[in-house]
Amino acid sequence: MITRTYYTRDRSFLLAIYFLFYYAVLLGFFIDDRLLSQYHPIFFNYNRDLTELSLIATGIPRYMIAHPACFAVADILAFLLPLPLIFREVRHKPQDIQDIQDIRFFPWPGIAFFCYLSLYLLLDDIFWQIHHEPFILLLLLALVWTTDQTDRFYLILKACRFYFLYIFVSAAIWKIARGSIFNGEEMSRILLLHHTDLLTGDCTSLTCRTYSWLIAHPAISQALYIAGAMLEASFILGFFTRRRDRLLIALAILFVIADLLVMRIPYWTVLLGVVPLWIRYPAGPDPRWPGSPDHPKIVLYETTHHENLPALLDLSEAQFEQVTVFLKEHSYHNLCGDGSPEQRWPQTDFFIQTADCPNRRFIRQLFRFIRRHGYTHLHLCTLDNNLLIFSLRLASIGPLHVSLTVHEVNEYFFRSFHTLRDWTETIAKRLLRGQIRHYHFFLPAMADQFQQRLPGSITVFIPSRFYSGHRMASQAPPFRIVVPGSVDPNRRNYAEVIQTLSLIRTIPIELILLGNAATDAGATIDAAFQSIANDQIAIRTFKGYIPETTYEQVLTSAHLIWSPLNIHKKSSRNSPETYGLTTASGLTADLLLNNIPALVPAGFIAPGPFQPAIYPYRSPEEAAEIIRRFIEDPVAYTALRETIHQAFSYFSKENFSPAFAELTRD
Amino acid sequence: MPDDRKPMNSRIKKRHFAFVAAFFLIQIAIDLAHSVTAFPFVHYGMFSESFPAPDSLLRYEVIVNGKTLDPADFRIYRWDMIQGPLAAFDKQVQTADFAFDKEKFRAALPGIYSRISANLDNSPALAANFPEWYRNYLSSLLRRPIRTLLVNRARYRFEDNRFILMNSTPWIDRE
Repeated sequence: MITRTYYTRDRSFLLAIYFLFYYAVLLGFFIDDRLLSQYHPIFFNYNRDLTELSLIATGIPRYMIAHPACFAVADILAFLLPLPLIFREVRHKPQDIQDIQDIRFFPWPGIAFFCYLSLYLLLDDIFWQIHHEPFILLLLLALVWTTDQTDRFYLILKACRFYFLYIFVSAAIWKIARGSIFNGEEMSRILLLHHTDLLTGDCTSLTCRTYSWLIAHPAISQALYIAGAMLEASFILGFFTRRRDRLLIALAILFVIADLLVMRIPYWTVLLGVVPLWIRYPAGPDPRWPGSPDHPKIVLYETTHHENLPALLDLSEAQFEQVTVFLKEHSYHNLCGDGSPEQRWPQTDFFIQTADCPNRRFIRQLFRFIRRHGYTHLHLCTLDNNLLIFSLRLASIGPLHVSLTVHEVNEYFFRSFHTLRDWTETIAKRLLRGQIRHYHFFLPAMADQFQQRLPGSITVFIPSRFYSGHRMASQAPPFRIVVPGSVDPNRRNYAEVIQTLSLIRTIPIELILLGNAATDAGATIDAAFQSIANDQIAIRTFKGYIPETTYEQVLTSAHLIWSPLNIHKKSSRNSPETYGLTTASGLTADLLLNNIPALVPAGFIAPGPFQPAIYPYRSPEEAAEIIRRFIEDPVAYTALRETIHQAFSYFSKENFSPAFAELTRD
Repeated sequence: MPDDRKPMNSRIKKRHFAFVAAFFLIQIAIDLAHSVTAFPFVHYGMFSESFPAPDSLLRYEVIVNGKTLDPADFRIYRWDMIQGPLAAFDKQVQTADFAFDKEKFRAALPGIYSRISANLDNSPALAANFPEWYRNYLSSLLRRPIRTLLVNRARYRFEDNRFILMNSTPWIDRE
């Protein structure tokens, strides 16, 4: 079982919201002396309701008046009756489908609550005329507590959703059918009748003067009435599509606010009805069947570091029924060195951001896609920009399991308020830390660091790619050293490389700077390297972006990878980061392409299975000594490659499946 | 899924759907009937009735300890609870304890009516007890003792954007 069911999540969500509303209603009754025991009625009313008439006919209201202690009992029951139901729901919250099947469900607390709520609402109307309209959804939604069947649960929610829509559409239809919408003085007369108490008093308050003004200007008040009717009518949209449910929720809130301001009617309880609009219904009728939440679908969003996608794609294909990747066109074409992405990940759909598609439009398309197609999981492989947009989108998308790959730990907690972007990103990061609990890292040390900074988060280490096997390079000279990554003096210390080469310039060596050297800084570095080239040392550099195929070919043919990192660096937003501890270089991804040893500065922390390949150096002399040893002892070098091969076998899909399951589990 | 589960699930689904469809059909039928409801099937007209210009407007003026209560001084629900019992009691008196409704019931189901008619009536002593009951309840709403309580049934006329008092009749008077 990959994920806890959506059913459990939706049920918990409804439980919290429903009983929040329920007890808020009772608290409101208490504050305004409307509990039966506070009101202590001595007569009952006829409200032209057949069910109420039946209840009166039973003699219960008359008996209660004769025995006033009944009112206190009725109120106490209203407060206490939901408690067994709430405790049952909280204590026996199923974690997966097996739990749902195993836990024996007793519907009686739910049935008792539903029946009693009906009775209590009827008594309230009979005694003090509560007016049922805003409370019907409270009653209908209570039906979900009478079942543990997922399909019934969602059917009740869907029916309540339709009922909520019906409330508004019905009001609009009646306004049209009875012609009130065409009566030019309708609204001013309603205000007159409805606010008589207020208007015949001193009428010094702003509210009262506003009502007077509206009554004196029937055209304007009628325009308000028509606008209200149109707003009500707009709920008809919901009968045809669920895509506008968020908009309808906003309109419902607007309606309730307008009703309070213009009519002084606190209709807030009807807002409980937005819950069925908020919940995203599973595609299938039962979570055990395909297309439903227990056959989850994942979207991966990656716009910058496509080199980190392969492992996540391999794992996603193994654990999800549907996998979709949103990525840039450029990333798509360079996703893997061998073959096309479709060939390597045949079950995955790729959505490509073309050069003319702005980022924000692409993000909009991403979230629309998730909503329309009922995706259950979103993994953000990189989140460099538009952080606030993402956090706001995540806040409004409803139930969705979100996870994030953090590339720079300090940056994720870094606060800065110099520019508007700093402000928005600082706020967005705070929101994201509240929204996202599951995080992925390329190094275990990063996961540990993060866990300390954000206790309670789920952190997992999964490498960028899995080890693809042994591809031995040619043993013939020259000895090939590859320095991968952007030619950037802020990230890498090239001076140490030049000094080292100067120490071994009598040995045939080919040094390849595997990064774009066509930048200003790159050109300077290139020139410095060319200055030490001789008949033994050949320098090869690249101008422009290096296609992934070329990149992988060059890298896999190397005898040695050299990553002359500046261990302490600044992030793109100037937060201090430490390679191997709070940020990862591309080295870990590069290493797993083959079984090649790597030179790294001392202090670089690499996880255990990488250790056989890692050769730290403290000085150019030490680096030169290591290189010389590799060249002069080919037997030892070959044995080393075999040792690395054995160690890297750990980086397999099977070994990281549990970590990925943890990342994607609720 | 076992073969025999499919038709069973299909039957259950059809039954659920029929249940929901029936609910909405009753709701629509009740909506069309309009003069009557049957909880939980209620009307959502939201002021859709076409109102004629009112001849007069009734207001229950509540004067407590010599001071008239002003709705602007109260929360909406609290003011409702001040006015609601007065309007309800007034209606109970005006309709002779909802005689019309009971008569309709009697005409429709005479057998049942004869057996339960006693349950349908409010206490004959209601008229005598209501003023004292209301004073006590109002006192709890206002959170202060009430020495004198006067309720007037005031009728207003709305003319030239002004309210003109037509008459004010003392209704409840408790010293």
